[in-house]
Amino acid sequence: MIRFLVPIVCLVLFFVEPIFGLFSPLSIGGSLYYVVPRFLILFLIFLTVFYELRHALFYGLFFGLLYDVFYIDIIGLYSFLYPAVCLIAAYFFKKIPQNLLSATLLALGLLLAMEVALYLFFQLIGLTDAPAGTFLTSRLWPTLIANALYLGLLGWVFRSMMVTQDPQRGTKFGLY
Amino acid sequence: MPQFLSNKRLILLLIGVILLVALISLTLRDRGQVSLPEQIVKEAVGAGQSVFSRPAHFVTGVFDNIDSLINTFEENRLLKARLEEFAGVQAEVTDLRSENEELKELVGKEEDLREYNPIQAVVIARNPDQWEEKIILNRGTNHGVKENMAVMTAGGLIGKVTIVTPTTSTVELVTTQNPNYRVSAMVLGEDDVFGLIEGYDAERRELLLKRIDFSVDLKEGDQVVSSGLGGIFPKGIVIGEITEVTIDEFGLTKLAYVKPAADFSMLNHVVIADRLAPEVDGEDNGMTEEEEEES
Repeated sequence: MIRFLVPIVCLVLFFVEPIFGLFSPLSIGGSLYYVVPRFLILFLIFLTVFYELRHALFYGLFFGLLYDVFYIDIIGLYSFLYPAVCLIAAYFFKKIPQNLLSATLLALGLLLAMEVALYLFFQLIGLTDAPAGTFLTSRLWPTLIANALYLGLLGWVFRSMMVTQDPQRGTKFGLY
Repeated sequence: MPQFLSNKRLILLLIGVILLVALISLTLRDRGQVSLPEQIVKEAVGAGQSVFSRPAHFVTGVFDNIDSLINTFEENRLLKARLEEFAGVQAEVTDLRSENEELKELVGKEEDLREYNPIQAVVIARNPDQWEEKIILNRGTNHGVKENMAVMTAGGLIGKVTIVTPTTSTVELVTTQNPNYRVSAMVLGEDDVFGLIEGYDAERRELLLKRIDFSVDLKEGDQVVSSGLGGIFPKGIVIGEITEVTIDEFGLTKLAYVKPAADFSMLNHVVIADRLAPEVDGEDNGMTEEEEEES
């Protein structure tokens, strides 16, 4: 079952992200808030911690590459970040209590790190000149809150989807 | 403590990082051009994206309809008041148009910077990571879209086409931070004043109109439209209106803040303007196709 479910969920999340992107920036009380949907990478972090790292790395590389080519036109940015985030997630999850809450917090922490890394990168190549304060208030917090909401709603679905699978299956090849 | 990565894996990771850094720097240099594999990926993802964006647009359309139903009464009253004015203006416009055509025939002027061929397009995606203001449309070279064409909504100018593939095109919005993004514009008034739209103030959410002659007086509320002199955009596309006039950083020319007329938040249907007059290539002061053939 999961053999088909994971790629389908990845594909749907990949296509749904830019549609939620159409609603952003939100203007509340005269100031703009950028809400960046990060559905796919959060799903991949869950895949890493509750299912298996290799699959997450593979899907991270594949969809990161699509993301780079279609939206960013800088190849190598997301196709590096997605697998890197999965690797770090796998490393840290061994050291903390393994439940849904800790996985959610870990995913949000990694999302924060990823957003900061992207901010630094885009500042480096001169695509943004927003000061750090603006980045924090108009982008980082709204993004984290919105994605926390998404994980709160769908996190347990992802987990039950992965955990009910036979654990032996995860160690076998075949999903590639 | 278990080791995080074995030596073999560490080497693999390092090679991967080096490869990616090389790829990033390589693709950063020529972002305007698309290679064949990139084009294929763009086409495929674009096709998938249109499938998903259609129901999304339907749902937002329903919400918009409900929203406008709530305001119907108020709007109707306002519109009725304006309808009487409108009849008068309509008559004047037809009169002026026919006069304009007659005069053009008199002087034998055929080409007009104002005329363009509209290409209707639907927004299928907005760059979800929003560091760059980009949208993707479902029209490409197959439908006659070319690089650098102006893109607008009913409200006014929103951006220009930066990358085209056979069935999709990427549009960079005017609200971008890209310093190389220029639109030649003019302020409507008794005498037309020319300037360049260069840059965007993210905090004020207003465009910057630069290089205006110091001796010219500008008023708040003046309309800014595209001048067509940049060589790619047609003339007369509404950009916005002036909210403040100051002096630029060197004190030699004036700078005006322009509030964009178009609404950038929920873009759905847009129009790509294919100018009928000869276009130049590149950004500004490029060459026309005929000039290129000569040289």
